[in-house]
Amino acid sequence: MNVVVCTKQTPSTTAVYEVKDGVVSWEDPGGKPLVVNPWDEYAIEEAIRVAENHGADKAIALTYGASEATEVLKTCLAMGCKEAVLVSDEAFAGSDAVATARILAAAVNKLDDVQLLVFGKQAIDGDTGLTPVMVARKLGWTPITYVSAIKEIGDGQITVERVRGNGKETVTAPLPAVISVVKEINEPRYPSFMGIRKAGKAKIPTWTASDLEVDGPVGGDASKADWSNVFTMPAREGSVEMIEGETVEEKASQLVDKLFEEKVI
Amino acid sequence: MSGVWVYVEHSGGEISTVSREALGAGRKAADGLGQPLTALVFGHDVAEAAKSAFSYGADAVLGADDETLADVRIEAHGELLTKLVTDRTPAVVMAGGTNNGRDVLAWAAAGLDAGMVVDGIDIDVDGDTVKVTRPVYAAKLLATAFVTEGTQFMTLRSRALPAAEATDNSGEAEWVEAAMAEDDIRTKIVGYESAEGKISLTDANIIVSGGRGVGGPEGFEPIQELAAALGGAVGASRAAVDSGWIPYEHQVGQTGKTVSPDLYIACGISGAIQHQAGMRTSKVIVAINKDPEAPIFKIAQYGIVGDLFEVAPALTKLFKERLD
Ligand SMILES: Cc1cc2nc3c(=O)[nH]c(=O)nc-3n(C[C@H](O)[C@H](O)[C@H](O)COP(=O)(O)OP(=O)(O)OC[C@H]3O[C@@H](n4cnc5c(N)ncnc54)[C@H](O)[C@@H]3O)c2cc1C
Ligand SMILES: Nc1ncnc2c1ncn2[C@@H]1O[C@H](COP(=O)(O)O)[C@@H](O)[C@H]1O
Repeated sequence: MNVVVCTKQTPSTTAVYEVKDGVVSWEDPGGKPLVVNPWDEYAIEEAIRVAENHGADKAIALTYGASEATEVLKTCLAMGCKEAVLVSDEAFAGSDAVATARILAAAVNKLDDVQLLVFGKQAIDGDTGLTPVMVARKLGWTPITYVSAIKEIGDGQITVERVRGNGKETVTAPLPAVISVVKEINEPRYPSFMGIRKAGKAKIPTWTASDLEVDGPVGGDASKADWSNVFTMPAREGSVEMIEGETVEEKASQLVDKLFEEKVI
Repeated sequence: MSGVWVYVEHSGGEISTVSREALGAGRKAADGLGQPLTALVFGHDVAEAAKSAFSYGADAVLGADDETLADVRIEAHGELLTKLVTDRTPAVVMAGGTNNGRDVLAWAAAGLDAGMVVDGIDIDVDGDTVKVTRPVYAAKLLATAFVTEGTQFMTLRSRALPAAEATDNSGEAEWVEAAMAEDDIRTKIVGYESAEGKISLTDANIIVSGGRGVGGPEGFEPIQELAAALGGAVGASRAAVDSGWIPYEHQVGQTGKTVSPDLYIACGISGAIQHQAGMRTSKVIVAINKDPEAPIFKIAQYGIVGDLFEVAPALTKLFKERLD
């Protein structure tokens, strides 16, 4: 069996955004504007561990995005995934969560003998967290979200611990399954020097719409969710009231008064 | 297509706060559209919760009472929702923005090829459409999001909207059968371990957070004491978590929890953009920091420049006196 990790390229966490005529752009003071979605690092690591510790033949990385997104696939290969596929086509642009799920499901169907899909818990651009469950629904596979530990994989079953409310739930389900993972599941490794060299030379295939049998419409026109009106947060800045006073007690007492006045206590 | 539905989460007959918030938003949407508000109450032994849904303003309750629905499993709840939406074509399906709420609605929306928007901090009815305002790009920007055709699926960010208040409204629920038999539900829950007693960060009205400025695990003591005096929860920056001073479950920020309490007190936290991403929608932010140039002061409403080891205990003492 093979395990697939679905990962997305997103703006870095330090990106500084600008919106002009509804178009979002960003710059990164650290000079690395596009990164592996931070939540997906745990998914990549876990997929590799499933291959290392739970008998999967190999971990395959899958991303749908623009051509630059091959960079995240290189990171996956450098960390230890054995194969990577980029899904990219103009026709897909503007897809909402359901359309994205159709595209990813079609790509998974084209891969051989996949029994487990591993997702991050959400992507930090759209911040929706819908894709894992929607892909599971499209494939008809078992959905298990917010997994904090994989306990066992064998006999066509998977047993995991997942976050539920304030506690942890243990769940078993038959494969094939789709899981999304949370940060506490592992400590992602750094790519090795050898891994980076190998990834640099790897040929990563690109699958376009004509390579896939997508079940249903895709792209902006087919999407029923509209989020095109993006704007900057009303500034909180400049409104701070600094509490002055001779002593700590005086400052504390003034602040306490203000907070009672605000009725937040 | 007509009707506003709210998928309600409950335990022990009580409707959760997020679901009361969703019922409040649902009421606003229903009134704006001129359509009835229906609460969906799925579970086992849910008669009390169904009654309670009426009292929080539902015009109707669609209930399903079955052992297979006792714990929320995506397939079992999601398939039932799918079937009901197919049969009755509501205009809007809402839920609180919890893991369960989002997962159950996502399953149904994908099955129905419907549009879904998440994480609304406000809603607005525009003609036949319910538009939500939501943070995007790690809460650095806002978007107006909506569904363009068909049933509109949406979730609301917890603590963003006022919860519906209890009234003396009552009614008779309509009961429907579960959509799946136990044998067909693939996920089996074989154990549960709760962390009972702790106030969960996302539900807390008040959060006191510590950052690298607390200097070590014992530095969280004054933070804990202040939180305890206020009946609040303890948060932390990633720097404090990564240093091993406090467990990850306390982390607030882009790679931690997203919170919007009424009051957020940041002690010894510089206010890095990733930290802000998790807390900037808090109603009132207080910053306590030695460095007057710390970026946290830019988003705070009140600031004290000073040593947290002096300021926090002074606040604890005063709050204890005033709240006694
Ligand atoms: C991918 C990624 C994701 C991230 N996700 C998150 C996240 O989810 N949440 C998060 O918080 N961070 C996150 N970060 C990290 C973030 O960028 C900062 O590193 C972190 O928030 C800094 O924590 P801090 O404010 O406690 O520490 P510092 O920046 O070191 O600030 C400590 C502050 O304490 C003050 N101070 C020191 N001593 C005292 C004292 N005795 N009394 C009063 N003030 C004092 C100092 O003046 C300083 O301003 C992320 C980073 C990356 C790269
Ligand atoms: N374009 C994409 N290509 C591959 N995986 C994706 C893509 N978008 C989202 N994902 C996966 O789905 C998870 C949730 O993303 P989202 O639903 O966009 O918040 C991410 O953590 C990824 O694992």
